[in-house]
Amino acid sequence: MASYFLRRFLYSILTIFLIATVTFFMMHSIPGGPFTRERPVPDEIMRVLNEKYNLDAPLYEQYYDYMKGLITFDFGPSFSKIGTSVNDLISSGFPRTAKVGALACLLIVAVGIPIGIISALKQNRPIDYTVMFMATLGVTIPSFVLATIIIFFFAGKLGWIPSFGLETWRSYLGPVLALSGYSLSFVARLTRSSMLEVLRQDYVRTARANGLKELSVIGKHAVKNAIIPVITYMGPTVAAIMTGSFVIERIFAIPGIGRYFVESVSNRDYTTIMAITVLYASFYVIMVLLVDVAYALVDPRIRFEKETH
Amino acid sequence: MDASQFTFVDHSTLDEAEPARQSLTYWQDAWRRLKKHKPAMAGLVGVIIVILFGFVAPLFTSVSYSDQTIDYSNLPPRLTIYEIADDYYVFLTKDYKLLRVSGRGHILGRLDRIEQDAVNKLYTYSDGNLDVVLDFGYNLLPGKMDSPFDYSFTVDGPEVTSPAKKVFNKTYPAGSDSLGRNLLVRVMYGARISLTVAFVASIVNLLIGVAYGSLAAYEGGRTDIIMMRIVDILNSIPLVLYVILIMVLVGNRGLWTMIIALGSVYWVVMARLVRGQVLSLKEQEFILAARALGVHRRNIIFRHLVPNAIGPIIVSMTMMIPAAVFTESFISFIGLGVSAPMASWGTLANNALTGLLSYPYQLFFPSLAIAFTMLSFNMLGDGLRDALDPRLRKG
Repeated sequence: MASYFLRRFLYSILTIFLIATVTFFMMHSIPGGPFTRERPVPDEIMRVLNEKYNLDAPLYEQYYDYMKGLITFDFGPSFSKIGTSVNDLISSGFPRTAKVGALACLLIVAVGIPIGIISALKQNRPIDYTVMFMATLGVTIPSFVLATIIIFFFAGKLGWIPSFGLETWRSYLGPVLALSGYSLSFVARLTRSSMLEVLRQDYVRTARANGLKELSVIGKHAVKNAIIPVITYMGPTVAAIMTGSFVIERIFAIPGIGRYFVESVSNRDYTTIMAITVLYASFYVIMVLLVDVAYALVDPRIRFEKETH
Repeated sequence: MDASQFTFVDHSTLDEAEPARQSLTYWQDAWRRLKKHKPAMAGLVGVIIVILFGFVAPLFTSVSYSDQTIDYSNLPPRLTIYEIADDYYVFLTKDYKLLRVSGRGHILGRLDRIEQDAVNKLYTYSDGNLDVVLDFGYNLLPGKMDSPFDYSFTVDGPEVTSPAKKVFNKTYPAGSDSLGRNLLVRVMYGARISLTVAFVASIVNLLIGVAYGSLAAYEGGRTDIIMMRIVDILNSIPLVLYVILIMVLVGNRGLWTMIIALGSVYWVVMARLVRGQVLSLKEQEFILAARALGVHRRNIIFRHLVPNAIGPIIVSMTMMIPAAVFTESFISFIGLGVSAPMASWGTLANNALTGLLSYPYQLFFPSLAIAFTMLSFNMLGDGLRDALDPRLRKG
């Protein structure tokens, strides 16, 4: 078991390394440097700029510096926000993004799983139909549409929540709800179908036949097994929340890392693009690793001799 | 026992006892099952509607998606019109432009503002022979507070204060955008862009994924391990990030850039699926027979293995299309989509964001289109899964 975890861990490191490399060479193969403007910059200034940001060095040297920077968590200066380092951007933006993202994750687990279970237990009753209708709607509406709808009604028409920033607890409601909408619906659907399958299993019947209380049949035997597929989905959920932050932070004007990413994409701020890509990808890889470990610990059927997919 | 004890059996009863049912091919059987699945049929109808809406409906409009009439910007789909003279209706926009409208909702023209008295909040408009005075000081100026209406129009008789009626905007059925472009036509055109991107990207995914997955599975051994390790690594990256990077890399933002970006990234899902299918199929006897007969490897893969895995492949493809629509609109929404004046649904939603509180309908129609498409494809995909691949059937 330990060797399985070790191998998974080494693969994760390799993956992050490859992601960093690919990102670096992609960004450096873009025609024109980061200081190419519509109005040509004088050669002299261009030379000084290139020298300042070490862009005139051979590619392998830049690559070496970049890798060294990654390991020491030094992402270099931002090309478009003069005088700011990418580290500054990340350390100011990441806590906000993480807070909203963590709350969204919490909401997904704390609401998605219970309503999925309730819906499965009340199969084909009105409550089941209502939940499934909402969940189906939830997976068909893109997060940016949901976010704008929330802004329009709750911030614009009703004035219950502020439409931008993260000052009070109320201002978290909008972004967290918009960010979790899709995954919440997905988790509810997944839990429901998995629960329905588990409830038909022999061991549930055996548990009932042995005279266990319904509560303990559901809680101890059914739910525990039904949430295993849900755990595997938590990795992709993190990805969905991270990419969701790109639009949510733009709509709700939250100065988080997702908004910096979108800004850096439109400003062609290559250092920021690289840093945030690598950061997000690493975060995702680590989450998938953790989910796999959790999965292996929860589900005794997993064999460790070979990777199971 | 002699022959007289035996009688001949009437053959007609025999036929009845064992009715020979017409044997159904795989596709006939799948179609029969699909027809029984009501949500799937609704989804199919929805998909056909979206395709007709995107590809056929624009042929019947005389307006182009890029035609702009700046005078008619930001018009809502429902117009509140005032009858200021006999059979002379006007509509006042939120930025105080006065438009002449027919009683049935056609936009006829704009009245020029010839005089403006900002202090007393009086604007005078004229269409050449008729002068209209708009008083918008109600509820704004002292002495005119607490009035039940906000505007009044005066031609030469009494003030007209209450709207005559609400009519549907016949010139711009879904309203117009900030440049006065016809939103309905733009949503249609957006359907074309979004669907083209989704379909072509899914086909690219299909081709790469099927070739890659089947090759890996058929070869097995070291080839399989290396090929699948690559897929694993690609799969452990948030794919949207890479689509964004490719869009940044290619720079030129056309339709094809988006297709390449989506197509070059999302095939990993398909490759895994095909590999799994081929792995289980390749041990079966018919493949052994084909090999024994000396069939070329390429033919074994594409004539024998892939056709037998076609059910799950098609299901996965139907699910891939809405995912591509979703991703495309997402990328367009953050400003990396097709460049203006082209528009996809995501771009339209993005453009609507700036004027959301004043012109919410600009967001409504593109969003409705996205949600409708997603729902239709998802329902069709669910039904197809049940019809084509009974093993995957969910409880």
